[in-house]
Amino acid sequence: MNFIDYFRMDFLSFLNVMIRRFLMNIGRYVLFLKMVFRRPEKWKIFWKQLIGETDKLVLSSVLLVSVISVFIGGVLVIQTASNMQNPLLDRMYVGYMVRESLVLEFCSTMVALILAGKMGSNIASELGSMRITEQIDAMEMMGVNSACYLALPKILAATLFSPFLMLLSFVLGIAGGWCVVYLTDIIPLAKYIAGLKYCFNGFYIFYSCFKMSLFCFMISSIAAFNGYNAKGGSLGVGSSGTKSIVTSCILILMFDLIVTQLMLY
Amino acid sequence: MIKVEHLSKSFGDLKVLDDVSIDYRPGICNMVIGASGSGKTVFLKTLIGLIQPDAGSVSYNGKDLMAMGFREKTRFRQKIGVLFQNSALFDFATVLENVMFPMDFFTDWSRSEKKDKAEYCLERVNVKDAENKYPNELSGGMQKRVGIARAIALDPAYLFCDEPNSGLDPYTSILIDQLVSELTKELGMTTVINTHDMNSILEIGDNIGFLYGGKMIWKGDRHSIFHTECKELRQFVCANSLARNIIEQDGAYKD
Repeated sequence: MNFIDYFRMDFLSFLNVMIRRFLMNIGRYVLFLKMVFRRPEKWKIFWKQLIGETDKLVLSSVLLVSVISVFIGGVLVIQTASNMQNPLLDRMYVGYMVRESLVLEFCSTMVALILAGKMGSNIASELGSMRITEQIDAMEMMGVNSACYLALPKILAATLFSPFLMLLSFVLGIAGGWCVVYLTDIIPLAKYIAGLKYCFNGFYIFYSCFKMSLFCFMISSIAAFNGYNAKGGSLGVGSSGTKSIVTSCILILMFDLIVTQLMLY
Repeated sequence: MIKVEHLSKSFGDLKVLDDVSIDYRPGICNMVIGASGSGKTVFLKTLIGLIQPDAGSVSYNGKDLMAMGFREKTRFRQKIGVLFQNSALFDFATVLENVMFPMDFFTDWSRSEKKDKAEYCLERVNVKDAENKYPNELSGGMQKRVGIARAIALDPAYLFCDEPNSGLDPYTSILIDQLVSELTKELGMTTVINTHDMNSILEIGDNIGFLYGGKMIWKGDRHSIFHTECKELRQFVCANSLARNIIEQDGAYKD
C-alpha cells in the first residue's frame, strides 16, 4: 500500500489498517526476540562474536561520543552562565546545573539518540544486506539459528556495555565544561567545581545507566529486527535502516518519559 | 529419495506452484527447468523448507519435512547442502572460514581436523589457492566453487543448487556442471538443480521436470527432451541454438 492509497480511504479504514499493521509488527518483533534469545549453539563462538560486536558497536562509538560530550559540556556552561546573570543566584549553580543536565538527560537520552543513528544504521544495513544476498538463508539451511547467531551478540553488546559510554560522556561533558570555565573565566573555576560537588545524588548515575541500557537494547533489537526482515534489494536495505532510526528515536523519547516518571517520582 | 506430492504455493493472487508432484532419486542429477519466473526458485526453497507451502508435502526418505518440529528440522538441515544462486558466501569470513563455518557449529573436531577437511573440500573444487581470500576478491566461478565446497563440507545426503551457472561463461558453466555431477555420484547424494541453461540440461540432466506457469507439465531425461510432445517445452528448448541444431540433425519435432 503506498502513500496515495491512504488518502483514498475513509478514516475508519485508515485507522483499521494502521492498528492492524502496528499490532502485526509488534507480534513479529516479539517472535523475532523469541528466536534471538535462545541458547547459543556453541558458547565459544558466541563469546567470540560478543567481543567482536562490543568492539564494533561500543568501542568504535567512543570517539564520536567523546567529541560530542566535550563540546556539549562546554556549550552547557556558556548557556547556563549567560542565563543566570541574577546577582542573587550563586555562580556555583552553573556547575550544579551543568552536572544535572548532563547526568539526567544528555549523557543517556541525547547520546542514545546519536547512537540510534550510528549503531542502528550499522546493524540494520549489515543484517539487511546479509538477508538480500541470501547469506541468512544459507545459515538457516545449515541448521544455524541465524537470528540468535547474528543478533544476540549485537543486542547484548549494546545493552551491557553502553552504560560505559554514558559514564564516559558524563566525565567528558564535565571536563568540557571545565575547559571552557578555565579558558574563558566565565565563572570562577572554584565555583564551578563546588557546583559539581553540590547535592550529588548517586542514584541519578544508576538511573542514567539504566536508561542508556534500555535505549541501546531498543536501538539494537529494532535495527536487528528491521535488517533481518529486509526485503526488496538495496532499496529494502536502505529503508530498513531508515525505519530503524526513526522508530528507535520515537521510542527512546517515549520511554524516556515513562522511565523518568517511574524512577524519579 | 525425495518425494514431492501435490505442492502448491501462492503469493496473494499469484499462484506460483500448482499441484507439483515429482520424485528425486539419489546418485543422479535431478533437474528443475523452466523459463525465468516459472517458479523454480520458489519450488527449490519450498523443498528445503525456507518457504512454507500452502498445500502438499515434501518427504525425505519417508519423513515429512513440514511435519518436523523446529529442533528436528534444524538437525535435519545439517544433512542438506545448498548452493545459492549468488553463492551466498559470508562476507565477514575468508574462503577457508566459510567452508569451516558448518563444521564450527556441528562438529566437535579440533581446529586442525576442521582445517584439513575444509582444505580437502577446497582442493576437490580446485580453489585451494584462494583459501585466505575474502569472497569479494573472487570471480563468479570461484565463488560458485567455494559455495559447493561449503555445501559438501559436512558430507550431506542432499544437495540443492539454485542456478549454479547463472552469470558464468559457458566453459566455467560446464566445469561447474561436471563438478556437481561428479560429486553427486561420488558421495551418492540426491542432487536437485534449478536451471534454465540448455547446456547444463544436455550435459548432466538425468531426471528433469519442466515447470511452466507453476505446473510441472513434463518429466523425462536429457534424451527424451528432444522427442517431447509438449509444446511449451519445445519452445523452451528451441530457444537455444545448440539444441535447435541437434533437433534439426535428428529430425525430432517434425510436426
